[in-house]
Amino acid sequence: MIKKIGLTVLMTAVLVAGVFASGQQEKKAAEDSQEEVVLKVAYPVAVDAPVADILNGYATEFKKTHPNVTIEPVYAGGYTDVKTMIQTSIDGGGDAPELAVMLATDVYDLANAQYIEPLSDLLANMEGSDAYLDDFLPVFLENSYYQDKLWSLPFQRSAVVAYYNADLFKAAGLSEPKNLQELADAAQALTVREGDSVTRWGIEWPTGWPYWVFQPLAMAFGKNIVGADDTTVYFNEPEVIDAINYYNDLSAKYQATPAGVQGTWGNVVPNFLSGNTAIIVQTSGSLSKILSNADFEVGVMGIPGKTSGSYSVPGGGNIYMTSGLSDAEKRAALDFAVFMTSPENAAQFSIATGYIATSKSAFSSDAMKAYSAEHPQVAKIKDILADAGKELAIQNLGQVRSIFHNYIQAAFNGEMTAAEAMAKAQEEADAALADFK
Amino acid sequence: MNDLTKKKKVSAIPYLLILPTLFFVILFTVYPLIASFKGSFFIHRLNIPKYREPVFCGLENYSKLFQSEEFRLILLNTVKYVVVLVPVTVVASLFFALWLSKERFRKFRVAIFHPAVLPLVSAATIWMFFFTPDYGLFNSLLGLFGYKGPENWTGNPKMSLWALVIISFWKDAGFYMIYYLAGVQNLPKDVYEALRIEGAGPIVSFFKFTLPLLKRTTLFVTTVAVIGAFRTVDHVIVLTQGGPSNSSSLLLYYLWQVRFEHLNVGLSSAITIILVLLLLIFTITNFLVSEKGGDNV
Repeated sequence: MIKKIGLTVLMTAVLVAGVFASGQQEKKAAEDSQEEVVLKVAYPVAVDAPVADILNGYATEFKKTHPNVTIEPVYAGGYTDVKTMIQTSIDGGGDAPELAVMLATDVYDLANAQYIEPLSDLLANMEGSDAYLDDFLPVFLENSYYQDKLWSLPFQRSAVVAYYNADLFKAAGLSEPKNLQELADAAQALTVREGDSVTRWGIEWPTGWPYWVFQPLAMAFGKNIVGADDTTVYFNEPEVIDAINYYNDLSAKYQATPAGVQGTWGNVVPNFLSGNTAIIVQTSGSLSKILSNADFEVGVMGIPGKTSGSYSVPGGGNIYMTSGLSDAEKRAALDFAVFMTSPENAAQFSIATGYIATSKSAFSSDAMKAYSAEHPQVAKIKDILADAGKELAIQNLGQVRSIFHNYIQAAFNGEMTAAEAMAKAQEEADAALADFK
Repeated sequence: MNDLTKKKKVSAIPYLLILPTLFFVILFTVYPLIASFKGSFFIHRLNIPKYREPVFCGLENYSKLFQSEEFRLILLNTVKYVVVLVPVTVVASLFFALWLSKERFRKFRVAIFHPAVLPLVSAATIWMFFFTPDYGLFNSLLGLFGYKGPENWTGNPKMSLWALVIISFWKDAGFYMIYYLAGVQNLPKDVYEALRIEGAGPIVSFFKFTLPLLKRTTLFVTTVAVIGAFRTVDHVIVLTQGGPSNSSSLLLYYLWQVRFEHLNVGLSSAITIILVLLLLIFTITNFLVSEKGGDNV
């Protein structure tokens, strides 16, 4: 009897303690939601668009619905600068920005080094989270998942495309190239020389930072340089070697592009706009600038396949939540990330910058429909993305990417044959990935 | 007795005065150096879970580096960069100072000095356009002198390192000129008057008197130039990212890559130690060479 009474008292005590604890948690959550929160959000601004103005607008707009949350934008040059800022702040025990826009492909290194927090658990508590995630274009979520968790939300996304001067094509009696042979022929036909000097190049394919713009070319020959998992690369494949030889042939055989490595990313768009280059391989993020400055009809296409088809890879940045935040900061950070990626904002951001709207609903918004009707190139880019392959996202990305860049540039500059360069690249990349297998 | 006591009594004021500097030197130089030295004996890789905590590896990081073709190339690039840039810049800055110390050329001082006030990132961005193949200003200028060689300064592995040297020369020569200008203006006028009366020509005056009299300035400028050459990295990031194929990668850029791109803390610590040792070797050699022959000025 005494035992029974004791047990009852104990159970009652446990129950009361549980209810009390739960009440305390709810009270804390309620307090957290009202707590003043300041969120620093790090953005790369080195793009062809007024990103700082747009993001300042987001901060003001968000404050209207979340009066207890203050957004402080932190602007840095490019993706690398933002990443270095986050790394140095966290490694040095400093106060890192709570949210940061960094390359989608950095997910493995950032997660392994514990610089970022997964978003899955927070999203699980959000009403309508499944519908929210399903609304993103699937290709943009490819690099968001790792270890069965979601680590980032697509925001400033782009794809590799080729822009061409449609007026020059018409004047030369050419149509949009359907395969790589037609692309080389068109580039050759559109190259103009005066004596020894070239007054118009047929095509410019910048290769100062080559992996991204090269990937669609390798895919056009039949093989992406990266595998479906996170530790396999296919550098030393016949198709990849053929793709390097094709790039070299554009200068050596067709005389349609300058020879060797072209570290001219910043010059390519001005060259295209001034009519000095007929076709350029670039990011879709330059679309707005090109459309608003070109005094000729602009065509957009993916990289044509060896025989048919169109190839591209996505690129650009996602929103990450950095590690070490309080619960209130996490909730506020997620709310702001969801706000930034809402279909309305995604549509406006796309129209203003040329980056691709990240969600399906954004494309069906009135603003986007009107913009697409005026600029059919937008819809074309969406179609190009539908068949896009995987961007080089891999464990130990920084080192593997450097290895690939070093050797492919040696092949472009004729210091090694494509086969020699890719054999060495594969060997070194496999060694760099050995610890991750 | 009183005199002896006075001599032994050492004032604390000089020591107190250097305390703030000493504090910052210990905090920002000595401590990081000791931490890097210690870290260089560990495998510490932030993106590999089993090496997130440092694991002792002895000299493995150093042996890895010296066995690596990539590192040896970058080391060679750095030595080439310093060995070419420093003498050329120092000699040019001395000649600018001698030229602009004359009253009638004073107006050109601003023109020669102005690149020094630009941040290196801006200078590299400007030069990125100067180096543009086909229509860049630098290639057009060379064309006026009959140059018909390759123009792809940043994409050609035989030219990319020299593109960096050109930018640093353009930016630094005017800056070091200021030190020489101060030195030249303080040279004793009566010595030159005597030389003139004795009939010494300008070459004799320069090599026998001006150059030795500017020895202290030269030591200072050369030391600052060597340190500056080792620690510049901004123009590599803006212009070439060390490419193509590492042909323009310098030690400090590689250190940044290994630490922040490859997340390899142990290896980057070893590179830091090698960089500091190299700097010490260059600086001490410079002091020894400059001090040889006595303290004659």
